[in-house]
Amino acid sequence: MIRLFMCLCLAVAVLASPLRAQEGPLRIEITEGVIEPLPYAVPSFVPGNAAASELSANIARVIASDLNGTGLFRQIPDAAHISRITSFASPVQFSDWKAINAQALIVGAVDVDATGRVTVRFRLFDVFAGQELGQGLQLVGTTDGWRRIAHKVADQVYSRLTGESGYFDSRVVFVSETGPKGSRQKRLAIMDYDGANVTYLTDADALVLAPRFSPLGNKVLYTSYETGEPRIYELEVGSARRRPLESQAGTMSFAPRFAPDGRSLVYSLSQSGNTDLFRMDLGTGRSDRLTSAPSIETAPSFSPDGGQIVFESDRSGTPQIYVMPAAGGEARRISFGQGRYGTPVWSPRGDLIAFTKQSKGRFHIGVMRTDGSEERLLTASFLDEGPTWAPNGRVIMFTRETQGEQGSSNLYSVDITGRNLRQVATSTGASDPAWSPLQE
Amino acid sequence: MWAMLDTGQKVSAVGHVGFLAVAIFGGTFNADPLPFQVTEVTAISAEEYAALFEAEPSPEAVANVDTPEPPEAGQAPDLSATVDTDVAQAIPEQSAQSEPDATPEVVQPAPVEAEVSDEAPVLQPPSEDVAVLVPEIADEARPEDAPRVAPETIAQPEPDVLIDDVDQAATTEDDTAEQVEEAQEETAREAASERIVTEADDAAPARSLRPQARPTRPSEPAEAEETQTADSDNDAVEDAIAAALGGTDETSQAAPSGPPLTSGEKDALRVAVQQCWNVGSLSTDALNTTVIVAVSMLEDGRPNTGSIRMLSASGGSGAAASQAFEAARRAIIRCGANGFPLPVEKYGQWRDIEITFNPENMRIR
Repeated sequence: MIRLFMCLCLAVAVLASPLRAQEGPLRIEITEGVIEPLPYAVPSFVPGNAAASELSANIARVIASDLNGTGLFRQIPDAAHISRITSFASPVQFSDWKAINAQALIVGAVDVDATGRVTVRFRLFDVFAGQELGQGLQLVGTTDGWRRIAHKVADQVYSRLTGESGYFDSRVVFVSETGPKGSRQKRLAIMDYDGANVTYLTDADALVLAPRFSPLGNKVLYTSYETGEPRIYELEVGSARRRPLESQAGTMSFAPRFAPDGRSLVYSLSQSGNTDLFRMDLGTGRSDRLTSAPSIETAPSFSPDGGQIVFESDRSGTPQIYVMPAAGGEARRISFGQGRYGTPVWSPRGDLIAFTKQSKGRFHIGVMRTDGSEERLLTASFLDEGPTWAPNGRVIMFTRETQGEQGSSNLYSVDITGRNLRQVATSTGASDPAWSPLQE
Repeated sequence: MWAMLDTGQKVSAVGHVGFLAVAIFGGTFNADPLPFQVTEVTAISAEEYAALFEAEPSPEAVANVDTPEPPEAGQAPDLSATVDTDVAQAIPEQSAQSEPDATPEVVQPAPVEAEVSDEAPVLQPPSEDVAVLVPEIADEARPEDAPRVAPETIAQPEPDVLIDDVDQAATTEDDTAEQVEEAQEETAREAASERIVTEADDAAPARSLRPQARPTRPSEPAEAEETQTADSDNDAVEDAIAAALGGTDETSQAAPSGPPLTSGEKDALRVAVQQCWNVGSLSTDALNTTVIVAVSMLEDGRPNTGSIRMLSASGGSGAAASQAFEAARRAIIRCGANGFPLPVEKYGQWRDIEITFNPENMRIR
């Protein structure tokens, strides 16, 4: 009897289980998707008057260039558009944009008044949801600064679609290189992140190296050989005025970098054949030693919170990456792969460290966690070096030098996924890039 | 050495070698016979065959049919005469015109008039003439002979007595045991027969079963039933009107109807959604965010876009959850624009869907 009852219970449980699984809504789990650029449309902005007609097309073009350059978005050409945006206020015919698979739509208008004041309005739509993403935004500037306005619109679009802050309204300071490889002239230059609006900060009289932006982007630290020995300088971007920061006789200073608060810097100082890290208070000019080792310590970089410093040292016999407290102290090695590691840079997000790696005769740009785990190499070439982070921590720019007497240096950018490797357009050869924070 | 043997030894040696060869290799050449099926057929005479049906009269419908008379032997066409004809085919003469089968009378029920009365209908018991299509049930079910052999014949247990593995003594009112034991139902030993009854023993029926005559239809349906039918029709009309006005049947909404979706059907839906789930533009924070999205479906397989909502999110910030939800919503809308591949007969099963978008496998590695 008991066995019969147990068998009955078992049969009921077996038969009822699939029925019970179907109770309520149908549930499925998606764990695999696709990674492809998101198609979007950005028709020419609607000009409010004749003076704005050319500007409206240019602004739309720069926005598209910014978004396309990320590799995350794909512009649907204007020729494929079904609807025409003739009025900024008119409702959007979503069905027309769905038909061409535009998942995002950017609609804008441009007005230019008699004083040269430019007003740009835009809206971003999620086409398939049939609703606006965020609220419409209006930006005001001058006709000379129309590119910045376009970059800011692109930043907003990027931020609303990806959830990350943009990096288009930013600048890059770098070393412009001209002339043959044996007698190359190097000057500090600054440009928009996309290579536009290049401005030279120094002349070609002295060799310059490794410029670094201040946290506000208004100052630049760099190394110059104008005295015959490498020395660090601070330069104001607006006025191009500069001053030496370290001038001890018989020393060499190089590889400076600002602290996140902008009130101090860390750099390498070479004395009596030994190179260590020092920290200088910019207000007092006083320097404090951070390391004291017979090895070479260089290329320091602060963590975003200013609490730690990552640097390069050959204390283990080969150049490796170490992390230590910002006030100095015991350093721990975080790179343990095969090869030589150098020029570590802490991500603005604080989650990754970018570096240069030399292994098996090739150079790589890579990233790793701050504890050294999950190392990933993003590039490989004859010579890749000097990574710098975009303000949002999503993109890395670096120097790539080609082989041979006719080889040249150029700037490249790559997504931290390793995708979307592309050269940055510069009018001359370029090296040692440093990305600025987003402009205010 | 062979030359040293005499004839008798040679014969003996050849014979032994041959015997051994047959013993060793003989089995190799004997292939197993191909399997075949044997069906036993019992031939019976025409008299025996006719005797099988004499005891039971044929159904009435069959009796009404005039069977044509068999042609006489002399009326058989002369085959030799038709050999020389070129095309002409011997058309056999039609025998006596057979009457058509008796068409059963079909009593059309009276048209139902939609009379609505305020009084509740009273069901009358059906008359005895009304055929009831239920199997005949004997007064007492007779248990079948058990196909097993017992050392002694056991009497057939009484009906409704359970068969247990262990014999239990029948409880009687006279039992005066001091210990109070749990009352147990009386059980009997499992039934057994004296011999094994094989299929061959009871396979041949005494006579062929003939179809019973079609039962006559009831001449007039009970009026009470008509009244009830009209009343129920009226309720159905009211329900239809209510449904048309937007009312829904709560019972049909509460539980899904139809058979559950197969794993293949679920996989088809999963593949259809994931091919539009584009995470390429998501932030790294959003790629760490799992969202559960609910959507109500239309019967043609398209999502009701206004019903798409996020039920929960985990693993990321609020902004990341919003981005992850928008990507999920785009996936549902885009790939559902032409309808997901869902079986319409199981609509009740997928009327409401909850989709978990887990980007764990899509993160940067």
